[in-house]
Amino acid sequence: MDNALLLEARDVSKYFGGVHACDGVSIGVRAGSIHAVIGPNGAGKTTFFNALSGFYYPDRGQVFFGGEEITRMPNWRRIERGMSRTFQTPSIFPELTLHDNVMLGVRSKAGLAFRARPPSREQEAALEARVDELLGFVNLTRFKERPVAELSHGSQRLCEIAMSLSTEPRLVLLDEPMAGLAESETERVITVIRGLHDRLGLTVLFVEHNMRVVLGLAEQITVFDRGRILAEGTPSEIAANEAVRDAYLGKEVLDHV
Amino acid sequence: MLVAIVLLALEPFFAPYIKIDVTIVSAALLFAIAAMSANLLLGYTGLPPFGNAAFFGLGAYGCGLSLKYLNVHFITATLFGMLAALLGALIVAPFLVRRRGIYFGLLSIAFGQVFYFIAYRFTSVTGGEDGMSVPRPYLVFSSFTLKETAFYYLSLVVFVISLLAFKLIVQSPFGRTLVAIRQNELRVRYLGLDSNRFVFVAILISAGFAGLSGALSAMLNGFIAPLSLDWHQSGDFVLATILGGSGTVWGPLIGSLIYEIGRDIISTITPYWQIFLGALFVACVLGFPRGILGTILARVGAAPLSNEPEEANWTQSPAIAADHRG
Repeated sequence: MDNALLLEARDVSKYFGGVHACDGVSIGVRAGSIHAVIGPNGAGKTTFFNALSGFYYPDRGQVFFGGEEITRMPNWRRIERGMSRTFQTPSIFPELTLHDNVMLGVRSKAGLAFRARPPSREQEAALEARVDELLGFVNLTRFKERPVAELSHGSQRLCEIAMSLSTEPRLVLLDEPMAGLAESETERVITVIRGLHDRLGLTVLFVEHNMRVVLGLAEQITVFDRGRILAEGTPSEIAANEAVRDAYLGKEVLDHV
Repeated sequence: MLVAIVLLALEPFFAPYIKIDVTIVSAALLFAIAAMSANLLLGYTGLPPFGNAAFFGLGAYGCGLSLKYLNVHFITATLFGMLAALLGALIVAPFLVRRRGIYFGLLSIAFGQVFYFIAYRFTSVTGGEDGMSVPRPYLVFSSFTLKETAFYYLSLVVFVISLLAFKLIVQSPFGRTLVAIRQNELRVRYLGLDSNRFVFVAILISAGFAGLSGALSAMLNGFIAPLSLDWHQSGDFVLATILGGSGTVWGPLIGSLIYEIGRDIISTITPYWQIFLGALFVACVLGFPRGILGTILARVGAAPLSNEPEEANWTQSPAIAADHRG
């Protein structure tokens, strides 16, 4: 296998009854890249993400992460290995404060979650510093003590990104990070995602509908259609691809690139 | 907290005036330990514990049988009771640990009933339907058994220790993670934590508390009936927890006091006490939707939501704004 690939899927398939939600998909995500998965509704993007992140296991095919096969590894163990993900609807702890949300991940990473004894003072200080750092990164420090249920959808999404960073991943999977966001919020999330790559040097794989976002952010794009890969390439290659244009992309969007 | 404990400590002196017998309050305190055990699963982890009476009953029989046949000291017997409950939990927990919601509830009822039928049928050891009597515990010499008031203080001490232990557990990193599992188990797993492992330990801790309660209740009543393992009994623990406020440290005590004392008072007035107790529960549930303590805490503790729209702050974030221009 190519050493430069952090994540590799080989011939991954997932069936729901007779529906081939994901049918023989192979992709490679280069370490350090921003890679987007696009495609019309029902193309199998989220199914593919779920198979990659261990939400469920694929019916056929293999998944490799950092050279190790993880096809049937429990999802929590993948997180230990350095993968993390967000969901279309932010998956957070609504009743807890922003601080407590992020703290759970920080404690998990520090190996202190499964303990009856509270952390020592030095440990506590280190944990708090890490929470502050993460909240600073997504620029939510001012809401630290607020229950996240009270925050806007955009802030909840950023909270989820901060949580997915708390486990110090090498790869971040983002499932439609712009879903349901207002225009102003979209800009903020784009800035944070770009920061994941530019400032933290992480590998990012994301699913997105918003074509402007995808073409602006991604270095590599994989186009899904009806459970299969329709095309793959750089943003300009995808924009020029006739099959992709015919399949579903608005011509006027692509002409902007 | 101190006020409550002092009031409880003075109860034996008030007892003749307020006509609430110390044994009733003892029973309520021990019941509260079992309700606390249910609360750890129900209120904190979010799992319906409809089989906790099995652990309660295992604690009772473990204690009763060791007192009767081994003639051990009552502290040793209590430990035997807790051990029996823990062993029972070790058998059922591997099956329960993957179940959630209603399936957890149904499977725990099923396992609970298995233990109930064993106690019911195993007449040679448990006395079957007739139950078994438990010798009175003694502190130092077997001629000086613990009388009602002494046993009351024993119950109170054990209750306070249990409450402190419970508080430490739910406030520990482990307990915080249980609350997180209740709110969003998927995210807990995607933070790299094996949630089943936490649920497994929560079941064992819950069983330990239930066993402790069962052991002391057996000595208090001087009698164990197989019905104490029945799922109705599990339901009573859950009911008392919800009544007082599930997910709160003191809720189970409040629920248990109302349940036990209410039952005692109403049953002396009318043989149809269950109707009135039921009505009391309905009134409480309607008046205190989150349990008595839960509702009060929500009223008092929860800071009013800020009227300032949070969106306004979005645009005033210099760091991101600057970042974005660049």
